[in-house]
Amino acid sequence: MLELVNVIKKFNISGNKEDERTALDHVSLQVKPGEFVTIIGGNGSGKSTTLNIVSGSLIPDSGKVLLNGFDITKMSEYERAGYFGRVFQDPMVGTAANMSVYENLEIAYARGRTHKPWKWGFSSSHKKFFIDELKRFDLGLEDRLNQKVGVMSGGQRQALTLLMATIRQRPSERVIKRDYVRFCETDKLKAKEEVEQGFLLAKKERKNALTALKTESLNKEERKERITKINREYDSKISKFDLTKQILLLDEHTAALDPKTARKVLELTNKTVRENHMTTLMVTHNMKDALTYGDRLIMFHLGHIILDVSGKEKDKLSVEDLLKMFEDADKKAEQ
Amino acid sequence: MPYILSVIFNILTSGLPCCLLALGIYLTFRILDFADLTAEGSLLIGGSFAIALIKIGVNPFVATLVATIGGGLCGYLTSVFYTKLRIPKILCGIITMTATSSIALLILGLTDGTQSFINIVSLDSSNQTVFSIFYFGDPIYRPLIKAGVMLAFVVLIFVIIYFFFGTEYGIAIRATGINEKMSRAQGINTKRASIVALIISNALIGLAGALICQSNRGCSVGYSTGYLVVGLASIIIGETIFGNKSFRRSLIAISIGAIIYFVIINVAIELGLNGNLLNLLYAVLIVFALSLPLIKQGILYLVKERREKHA
Repeated sequence: MLELVNVIKKFNISGNKEDERTALDHVSLQVKPGEFVTIIGGNGSGKSTTLNIVSGSLIPDSGKVLLNGFDITKMSEYERAGYFGRVFQDPMVGTAANMSVYENLEIAYARGRTHKPWKWGFSSSHKKFFIDELKRFDLGLEDRLNQKVGVMSGGQRQALTLLMATIRQRPSERVIKRDYVRFCETDKLKAKEEVEQGFLLAKKERKNALTALKTESLNKEERKERITKINREYDSKISKFDLTKQILLLDEHTAALDPKTARKVLELTNKTVRENHMTTLMVTHNMKDALTYGDRLIMFHLGHIILDVSGKEKDKLSVEDLLKMFEDADKKAEQ
Repeated sequence: MPYILSVIFNILTSGLPCCLLALGIYLTFRILDFADLTAEGSLLIGGSFAIALIKIGVNPFVATLVATIGGGLCGYLTSVFYTKLRIPKILCGIITMTATSSIALLILGLTDGTQSFINIVSLDSSNQTVFSIFYFGDPIYRPLIKAGVMLAFVVLIFVIIYFFFGTEYGIAIRATGINEKMSRAQGINTKRASIVALIISNALIGLAGALICQSNRGCSVGYSTGYLVVGLASIIIGETIFGNKSFRRSLIAISIGAIIYFVIINVAIELGLNGNLLNLLYAVLIVFALSLPLIKQGILYLVKERREKHA
């Protein structure tokens, strides 16, 4: 669960009192795992600031950001990158233009773990995986793996960024252990023991399976197949302890695209989010999109949350209702 | 030895250390997108360390290693100014460069018992350099051996750099230079990546300085002035002629670019250019190299037009 507790963020604090602008004023928000939240609001209402505070680009003046109860408020942007996948408004920001599609994907795949200077950065098994993933996206990018991202269109770049935000290699065992203890909401000591025991058991089973394999008489190919199967089983056992499910942060990611491309990228987003059951925060200017997609809608106004609806209540709303609410809030603020 | 051969070896012995210099500058200038003016400073530090240490009797290879580390330290200093103190990129390099001219005087002063500040230090004929260790047989082969040792250094560094930038961390550094915001969002510690890149870059330049000074058998505080331009020109000439399609291609292009630069300079001198006009020639070369893409385009256009006329 992702939580914001009483977050305050002001800009231009050092200048005159008149220049000071409150972007978020005592904002509290709870997002359940697997929830798809759409966020709307006028310019300067604090919706993008919220996303930036969650991702660590901005540090709040006061208040807390909690992930499964663990305080990540002061954690720097790159340290928490493993927990969040992000797509930005500007298609140029999300990808490295001067690198190939493949290199960009390799960078994203290593997200949330240390980049080792002694480990070769490319692997053919990763490449195969990327091609499969790109095929699912159906943009024809799977044949252009070695092309530089800079020559691609904004829509393609945004789709690539979306893929980069959703793929991530299973973290190292050390990180899984650390995060299991960090993000378990009950007894930490018990959790530590639990994860250690689980790892030991998985390792023991793998060892036993491998020794059993030695006694069998198989040819080379079959043996190889069995070994990969054993390793895969081990991986899935370890992955059970990986509590850090990716949270997707989309900051007006279709605003810079033409309507047709924007629709396509949005559909792709929806499909990806639903298939992977990802917790998602999507900021958008388009009220229709905010109503069509997602299962919860939040409206910001001058640093406050003025509307928070989900389920049937949200389905009943129309664009006109939302517009009226905007105008009412504006009138109220003027008085 | 025929005259032409001596010219060729002259080009190689002055050009090969500049391959390392150009590679170093390329790492910051192109890969990290950091206009690093430390280069001349780390070149000076590298040279003065090498000469001072050899003169007080240290093994030349150890002296060269220390020179490389000294260059790396200059890079570290610049990166600390940038990442920790948040000084603008251009100023960071200028500050380090200014400081190094005093530090170089201190280092060179070590060779004098009194540690007084002196300007020019030359090696004695008994001092060994990384080149003279390999001098066997007829003195006629000396330029050949010298060029060979330099080439060995260049190839070694080339291979190390190529493989390092293919590792996970190397890719992370490249990403940091291209798009810092994206790199942070992908979990790359961009500050540390900048620090590492600056250290590697300036270590290479320090090594280049050590080789240049050992080749000249001496070091003065002013010798490094103008080498930044040499490095930049090498990068631009190399990239324009051989392209920058892939990382490996760029590395090769830049190394050859440095050699081409010295070919042009030496040809000009052989044709009777006044030595006082050398700096003017450097400037002209830079302008020419920078406008090469445009000239290339123009030539391609002319060729195409001609072909269409004939067809």
